[in-house]
Amino acid sequence: MSSPIPGYHSCYLRIDLTTGAAERVALEEPFLREHLGGSGLGVALLLKEGVAAVDPLSPAAALAFVFSPLVGSPLTTSAKFAVVSKSPLTQRINDSLASSGFALAGKKTGHDAIVLTGKVPQPSILVIDDDRVHLESAAEFLGLSTGDTERSLRERLGTEFQTATIGPAGERLVCFATISHDGRHAGRGGSGAVLGAKNIKAIAVRGTHRPHWADTPALVDLARQLSEKSFGPATAKYRELGTASNLLTFNRLNVLPTRNFQQGSFATAAAISPEELSVARTRTRSSCAACTIGCEHLYELKDGNGSVRLEYENLFALGPLCGIDDPEAVLEACRRCDDLGLDTISAGGTIAFAMECVERGLLAEPWLRFGDGSALLRGLELIVTGEGIGRLLALGSRRMAHEIGHDSIAFAPQVKGLEIPGYDPRGLQTMALGFAVGTRGADHNRSGAYEVDFSEAVDRYNVGPESAHLAVETEDKAALMDSLILCKFLRGVFTDFFEESAEILRLVTGWDVTAEELRQTARRIVTAKKRFNILAGWTPAEDTLPDRMLQQALPDDARAQLSAERLSALVRAYNTARGWSSDGWIEDSL
Amino acid sequence: MEVVVELFGIARARAGVARTTAEGECLGDVLADLAGRFPLLAESCIAGRRLRPGFTANLSGQRFVTGPETRLSKGDTVLLLPLDAGG
Repeated sequence: MSSPIPGYHSCYLRIDLTTGAAERVALEEPFLREHLGGSGLGVALLLKEGVAAVDPLSPAAALAFVFSPLVGSPLTTSAKFAVVSKSPLTQRINDSLASSGFALAGKKTGHDAIVLTGKVPQPSILVIDDDRVHLESAAEFLGLSTGDTERSLRERLGTEFQTATIGPAGERLVCFATISHDGRHAGRGGSGAVLGAKNIKAIAVRGTHRPHWADTPALVDLARQLSEKSFGPATAKYRELGTASNLLTFNRLNVLPTRNFQQGSFATAAAISPEELSVARTRTRSSCAACTIGCEHLYELKDGNGSVRLEYENLFALGPLCGIDDPEAVLEACRRCDDLGLDTISAGGTIAFAMECVERGLLAEPWLRFGDGSALLRGLELIVTGEGIGRLLALGSRRMAHEIGHDSIAFAPQVKGLEIPGYDPRGLQTMALGFAVGTRGADHNRSGAYEVDFSEAVDRYNVGPESAHLAVETEDKAALMDSLILCKFLRGVFTDFFEESAEILRLVTGWDVTAEELRQTARRIVTAKKRFNILAGWTPAEDTLPDRMLQQALPDDARAQLSAERLSALVRAYNTARGWSSDGWIEDSL
Repeated sequence: MEVVVELFGIARARAGVARTTAEGECLGDVLADLAGRFPLLAESCIAGRRLRPGFTANLSGQRFVTGPETRLSKGDTVLLLPLDAGG
């Protein structure tokens, strides 16, 4: 194997869990330069594995933990990893990101990615210690929460190991189970179920291999400058208030999804706002490893049971979306999702959908009512036990709607099966386009099109096809950030993101990379995700929104209205801007 | 002309109020009035008659505006918000 490129180990570890074989596979320089790391490299590796058409919960499926050239560097927010697989929730590509010590330790094993295929016969812990790989029994960890598993495992193996674990939700193959590390989650799309289906309860990593950098003094200097900028006004919101501060802003703009997207504002939103929560309880801050922003805000629980991280997405999905304004219930629901290893957006979205089904008489579960915090908590437990309505809830809103029938799919809050995050697309119509075309479904992390809606560039109620390129731009930016990898909360500190990213990559790798090359790379990554989806069975009909959002204006804001025809025109313009056919096919995709 | 101003996120935290009134015929007037009365708000969010980078304004929950010469109408409510809506 040739000597590694700076920033990389130039190989990945491929483990066949069925046979126990672990193989170091070389990654050639042109391949790395084309796909970088994180999401980009992960999708490329999955395409190489040829698993787009397989059942994501079958032994043949592949799951990739992918690091990046920046991991381990002094650059702020770079301690991140991507988990890439086919999603059991959407049956499409899924790339979820998480942060912190697992990324650092995982890369120090001497690999740029760890790809798992096959399945072990018994629940196991996968231990990767540099290039030594072995399996241990997971019997004593079964049923444990993500946090308890992590604590117990590090007690057993030693604290120099970092772990990524599934909770009870992943063990039971809940379609929106997460993979957790240090309280953070690779959250969306059910990668926890994919790992659970392989009978892996946790992966523990430790290593001694440090990559080198092409120009260390200049990189250290640039990292210092970036850290200084990260203390400035562009990140003040995250640092001082956290993402939860979106709640009252979105409520005022009538884009806060409420009662399963039946309304865009929640009359009692203030009761669960961070402004109010901070008055009544202690709030502390935390951050990922190698991060100078510190966006995490933890709120004390009143039962003396510690504290819980609160993000806007948790808050909206387990609060207004379910009509709940009881802060204790919302915080407890956040904690239970963390413990069980459940994606909060999909959990809240699916329960809110079920609540509306009950309201409409489509489900005979009279206890499951909007506004009832105890019903929400009971619903979360049932998702994991699979008892009663839990069997349906564990499937996510799309499959649940198909089982319920009665055209309930019209108000299932999902795109491609992924529950919609906390931005009502009728009042944020560039975001509506971003949701509709998203390769992993409705997704605010892969499309930042809401930024366009929050500007003078468009009329957010009446976005036209001429603005589709703006959605493309935010998606390309996200694809690059997710592949370098840098935290999106850092994006405000860049003046020219592509140019500055090229400078970072030049110092890390020594490549003569330019901003234009990175623009092309970002487009290649988005197209690779689309290619995966086409191989998985994508059709143009998937790039849409639920019928409710195309047939009804928001009752509290008559301007928030988007017709199927107008969305379709936006999607066609987006596809054309991407260089695909107008209905979204890629010429060389098959 | 007096207009109602609603503040969100960091703007609210700096001003220490969720809602106030300000005088002005255009957005720049209103921002200058606020800057004079709320020094901490000015330090973070307002530079003279303009919004600092990272902040935006919205008229009555409808239209986003940033130009200081943007004319205000009777009954307008000016919202001051962080530009970054990511969560």
